Amino acid sequence: MRPGDLWQHSSFRLAMGVTLFILVALMFASGVGYGLMQSQLLARQDARLTEIFSALEQISLQADDTDLIEAITTRITASPDRATVYVLKDQTGRILAGNIADLALPAEWSTVKAADLGVATEYPYRLLTRPLGRNSLTVGLTNADLEDLRKIIMASFGWAVLFAFLATVVLGVVLAVRVQARLSLSETAVARLAQGDLSARLPVSARGDDLDRISQAINASLARLAALVDAMRQVSTDIAHDLRTPLHRLRIHIEDAARKVLSGDAIDVDLAAAIAQSEAIDQTFAALLRIAQIEGGSRQEKFAAVDLAGLMQNVAEIYAEVAVDAGQILTCDCTAPAGVMGDKELLTQLLVNLIENAIRHCPAGTVIRCAVQSDDTTVTASVCDTGPGIPVAEREKVLRRLYRLEKSRSSDGAGLGLALVKAVADLHGGTIILQDARPGLCVDVQFPLAAAGC
Amino acid sequence: MRILLIEDDPSAASYVARGLAENGHVCDILADGTDGLFQATRESYDVLVVDRMLPGLDGLSMVRALRAAGRKTPVLFLTALGGIDDRVEGLEAGGDDYLTKPFAFAELLARVNALARRPPVQEVKTTLRVLDLDLDLMTRQARRAGRPIDLLPKEFTLLEVLMRNEGRVVTRTMLLERVWDFHFDPKTSVVETHISRLRAKIDKPFDLALLHTIKNAGYSIHAPR
Repeated sequence: MRPGDLWQHSSFRLAMGVTLFILVALMFASGVGYGLMQSQLLARQDARLTEIFSALEQISLQADDTDLIEAITTRITASPDRATVYVLKDQTGRILAGNIADLALPAEWSTVKAADLGVATEYPYRLLTRPLGRNSLTVGLTNADLEDLRKIIMASFGWAVLFAFLATVVLGVVLAVRVQARLSLSETAVARLAQGDLSARLPVSARGDDLDRISQAINASLARLAALVDAMRQVSTDIAHDLRTPLHRLRIHIEDAARKVLSGDAIDVDLAAAIAQSEAIDQTFAALLRIAQIEGGSRQEKFAAVDLAGLMQNVAEIYAEVAVDAGQILTCDCTAPAGVMGDKELLTQLLVNLIENAIRHCPAGTVIRCAVQSDDTTVTASVCDTGPGIPVAEREKVLRRLYRLEKSRSSDGAGLGLALVKAVADLHGGTIILQDARPGLCVDVQFPLAAAGC
Repeated sequence: MRILLIEDDPSAASYVARGLAENGHVCDILADGTDGLFQATRESYDVLVVDRMLPGLDGLSMVRALRAAGRKTPVLFLTALGGIDDRVEGLEAGGDDYLTKPFAFAELLARVNALARRPPVQEVKTTLRVLDLDLDLMTRQARRAGRPIDLLPKEFTLLEVLMRNEGRVVTRTMLLERVWDFHFDPKTSVVETHISRLRAKIDKPFDLALLHTIKNAGYSIHAPR
C-alpha cells in the first residue's frame, strides 16, 4: 500500500475524522476550563488588592500620613521583585511613597503594562486606585501567575494535539493496513466468484467480529447457491443421459411404423407405443420441473397446519385396494392427529410416492405398514415393507434424481419418486431416514411438530 | 357446439380445430388475445379454449377482462405452465378448467364437453339417476333396482362425479383431480383399481353394465344405447 493511497482507506479516514472531532472537543473544553479558571483567579486577585487597600486604609484612619508612608515603605521593602506595587500621592499629585513610575491612573480598577509602570517584566499589572483621606493610593499585583497558567495550558494543549495527531496517523495506518489485508483476501475471493468459481469463500477469522459475521453469511449463501447450481448441472446431465433412452425408444417405434407403412402393414401398435413413450417422457419432464419448483421454495409462503396422520390415513385408504390388486397387504396405523406446517398437496404427493414405491418395487405377498407417530418435537411418517429392500451402499443414491437401482432400470418409471420425496421433505425442514426392516425397507420422514392447536 | 379457440401456435391450433370439427363442433380460431377478447364479447360461444401465453393480450388478462365485462362463457385454459400455482392463478382469473400441454385430444374433448353442458345455474340436485341406478346425495345411499349398495366414501364420490357427467367421458386425470384431489400423475393404477371395485358393486350383480371404459380416453356412465 502506497502512502498516497492512505486517504482511499475508509478506516484511515475514519481514524482521522475521529481525532479531528476529539481535538475540537478538547479545544472547546480547554477554552471553557481556562476561561473559568482565569475569571476565578482574577476575582481572587481583585479580592487581595481590596484586602491590601483596606489594611492600608485602616492604618491611615488610626494614624497619620507618616505612619502610612512608613507602612507602605516597609511593604515595598518586603516585595523587592515588585510583585506588589504601591503608589501614594497627595492631592497635588506628588508621590509620597511608591515603587513604580508616576502615571496618571484612572480611579478604581485598571490593567497596565509593566513597561508603563517602569518595571522590567513582561507581565501586566492589575491596579486599584482609590482616594485615601486627602491622598490617593494605588495598589497593584503582577499578573505573572495568571500568565504562566495560560502558557502552561496552551503548551499542554499543543503537546496533547501533537501526540493525538501522531497517534492517530499511526493508528490509522495500522488499521488501514490490517483491514486492507483482510479485504484483499475477500477481494481475491470475490474476483474468483466473478469469474464463475463458486467454490471461492470469503476469509473468516477466529475473532467472530462484524466482518466475520458478514463473511459467514455471504459464505452460507454461496454454499446454498453452489448447491443449487450443482443440482441444476446434475439435472441437465441426468436429463441428457436418461431421456436419451426413452427418446431412442420413441424413435424406434416411429421408424417401425414408417417401415410398416411402406410394406402396407398395420401400424396402430407402434403408434400406440410411440404415444405411450412420449407420455413417459412428458411425465419425466413434469416430475423434474415439479422437483425444481419445490426446491425453489416459493411454496413455503402458502404453508398451513396439516394433520399428517389424517393425510396418511386418507392416502392409505386410497391405496389399500391397489395393494390388494398387487397381492400385497397395506395397513395404516395413524389414529392420533399429528400436526405439521406444510403444503397439503405436496405432503399428499410425498405419502403417495412412498406408498407407490413400496407397491411397485415389492413382490406379491409383501406387507406394507404405514404409520404416523409424533413425540414432543417431531412427527414421523413411515412406510415399511417386507420386500427386497435397498442395499446399504445404494441408500443415499436413491434419493437422487433419476437414480434407479440397476435391477429396476428395466422397469418403467423415471426414478424420480424418492427424489421428489426428498425435495418435499427438505422444503418442510424434514429428514429422510432409510432403514433396514429385516427384511425389507423402512422409509421414515421426520418433520418438525407444528405448534399446538393444529 | 360453437367453440372459440385462441391459440397462437398454428399447428397446435389446427390439430385441435380439426379434432373438434371431427366430433361435430364448430370451431373458430384466433391467434391474438386482443382479437380473442373482442370476438368473445361480440359473439356467443358455448366454450372458449384459451392458450395462456398469447401475443397482444395474454390469456389470463383476456379472461379477466371477459369476466369483468360480465361474460360467463366457460373457459378452458391450455398451457405449458403446469405448476400448481399457475393452475390456481388461471382458475382465479375466471377460468373454469385447466389443461397442461402436451395433452391427449380425448382429454381436451372430455373437458370441453363437461364444461359446455355444465348447467348455467347449478341446480340443487339431491338425487342422481342413471337407468335403475339411484344415488341419494343427502343420505349418501346408492341403490340399483331398489337394492341398496354399500359404497366406501371415495367410491361414493367417484360414482357421484361419473353420474353428474352421465353420458359424457370423464378422463382419468379429471377423476384424479375431482375424486382424490391428486394434481399429479400417480405411477400405479389407482384409478383403474377403484373403477374396478366400483364396477364390481354396481354392475357385476346386474344384467346391464352402466359403467363403460372408453379406450384411450376415460370412463363414462350411461344406460345401454
